Amino acid sequence: MGTVHARSMDPLPMHGRDMGVHPDDMIEVQEAEHETKQEVLENKDVVVQHVNIEGLGRTKEDLLGYEISEVFDAKNLIDVMKKSHIARQKLLRLGIFKEVEVVIDTSDGTVCAHKRADALPNGLDVTFEVTEMKRLTGSYNTMVGNNEGSMVLGVKLPNVFGRAEKLTFQFSYGTKETSYGLSFFKPQPGNFERNLTLNLYKVTGQFPWSSLKETDRGVSTELNFPLWRTNHTLKWEGVWRELGCLARSASFAVREESGHTLKSALSHTMSIDNRNSAIFPKKGALLRINQELAGYTGGDASFLKEDFELQVNRRLVWDSVLSASLWGGCLLPIGGRPSSIADRFYLGGPTSVRGFGMYSIGPQSEGDYLGGEAYWAGGLHLYTPLPFRPGRGGFGDLFRTHFFLNAGNLCNLNYGEGPRAHLQRLAECVRWSYGAGIVLRLGNIARLELNYCIPMGVQSGDRICDGVQFGAGIRFL
Amino acid sequence: MCNLPVHVSCRSNAEYMSPSGKVPFVHVGNQVVSELGPIVQFTKAKGHSLSDGLDDVQRAEMKAYMELVNNMLLTAELYIQWCDDTTATEISRPRYSSPYSWPLNQILAYQKQWEVRRKMNAIGWAGKSLEQVYEDVSQCCQALSQRLGTQPYFFNKQPTELDALVFGHLFTILTTRLTSDELGEKIKSYSNLLAFCRRIEQSYFEDSQAGSSSRGYSKGPSLF
Repeated sequence: MGTVHARSMDPLPMHGRDMGVHPDDMIEVQEAEHETKQEVLENKDVVVQHVNIEGLGRTKEDLLGYEISEVFDAKNLIDVMKKSHIARQKLLRLGIFKEVEVVIDTSDGTVCAHKRADALPNGLDVTFEVTEMKRLTGSYNTMVGNNEGSMVLGVKLPNVFGRAEKLTFQFSYGTKETSYGLSFFKPQPGNFERNLTLNLYKVTGQFPWSSLKETDRGVSTELNFPLWRTNHTLKWEGVWRELGCLARSASFAVREESGHTLKSALSHTMSIDNRNSAIFPKKGALLRINQELAGYTGGDASFLKEDFELQVNRRLVWDSVLSASLWGGCLLPIGGRPSSIADRFYLGGPTSVRGFGMYSIGPQSEGDYLGGEAYWAGGLHLYTPLPFRPGRGGFGDLFRTHFFLNAGNLCNLNYGEGPRAHLQRLAECVRWSYGAGIVLRLGNIARLELNYCIPMGVQSGDRICDGVQFGAGIRFL
Repeated sequence: MCNLPVHVSCRSNAEYMSPSGKVPFVHVGNQVVSELGPIVQFTKAKGHSLSDGLDDVQRAEMKAYMELVNNMLLTAELYIQWCDDTTATEISRPRYSSPYSWPLNQILAYQKQWEVRRKMNAIGWAGKSLEQVYEDVSQCCQALSQRLGTQPYFFNKQPTELDALVFGHLFTILTTRLTSDELGEKIKSYSNLLAFCRRIEQSYFEDSQAGSSSRGYSKGPSLF
């Protein structure tokens, strides 16, 4: 019989989190083959006899068995091609192969050097030709900005012990501060979505809106697993936080928070995300609920923190999308100690309530914003493609115009009062804003916004940014 | 001593709250001023000073003695607390680490110890033995004792910044529990210094018992 090579399509880009298989891709494969070999292949029953993987070096085979096992269930050639494609996607998402190519051949064909005795007339052999990533990759960057220059060194070891474990190390040495991070990732063989991550890090941050600088040195362990349709993350984190004043003019309330604290916290996050994209979703919803309990595993900080994020998208006429989002959270200090400025919530800025200065809403002291123990924020957006659609199909698709309405409130709660009083406190003096702007998508993770905002409901002490506001980030209200 | 109303607040992070990293510091209105020198200048700018009655020669003498106290007594205190192994292990490290939880308390205590030992190295005290340090303290006390003589305060009948500084150090040494009482005994051997401390404690810190309760020292240790 002749040889059938079913080569893979052009390498599909690796997405960040959504590495699942998209139904759109399946249709592509079928259509390409459809014209040329229609009557010969479609209804022919086949049996997949062997599935081989070639090109393995340090990767252990038992890990891959799970990813390719479904190919054996295929009943006809189109099915084989579909399932091989899915298996290829699964192999790529392990993050240990540079390339994966699929070769489908008949069982007694000439790819193997000899005829095999057990070859069936309708048997097929599927071979995955893989190229492993190099053992060690490094990167070196220099960054300059904000009166500081730094040198960033990154080292990555994919597939350290052969079962898709990944070790990454990043070190940043700057004129003002140094920071580093070491991370070890291990998925469960056969179940890539269940994985364990260990982190060791030191990061420094400067927060000019509070005149605060923070140095965190910490260790964290994270366990991810899917459960039915939701994704859960359990994490333990131990952080040594050092807070200091950024300037001599810092207010005394911030000065009082200087010093060292140790936070040891357990947190759990549940998220359901069925949007079709993280940046410009056209449909679907996201719900993320996070709780953090600190103090019961040691440390000085002792609190219970809850926060949630909800986003719902719906497509309207003419390619426009209506998106509504709601955020909220509260922090409950346990044991009578007051909450630390590093644990509180902040509100305002181009990534949350637009029209206000960065994190510049809520309780403040002499111009330094102290954050609050409870907040809520909501946004209503209408995204439309650029007017007159310039650059359609290419560059123009990265842009959207949006009209927005944002609202939110942040305050400290007096936990002696009842929940009714809390709701009342959060409902009075609501800050809100509206406006319009342009949004640019960066890859699949970040976006840039340029908005014209009109803030309303401004309370004394808030800092506003009315007029044009620019924002860049990952998570937007 | 200037009769200014003051409220003493003890915080575990006072060292980090201070703009210069050293205690004591005062928070007045919107301003925060740390260390004795700047505090004295600050109060002087507001119109209160203890050394107005001194002439230039006496003022220079006062500065010299204050430098002596800073160089000798302060350094000796640091040495005894952190460079002497028994004291460091039994007293200083547990005390320094008490506000924090494990393992942060160990890290911070050792960090402080290394920092002080590095400083001692830098000024040349690392090679000294405990006996030598006690000798130095004794000599410093002798100089102070000679200057004080039979007067109630170092300069005439009014207390000055020097009196405040000397009282602060001597009082702390006499009332802090250490592994051995030798340091305290050395100071007590100079009876006029002991009487000086008692006198200041009586005049300025005892009568707050009857008055407002905001003076922290009235609840603290005492020489009596």
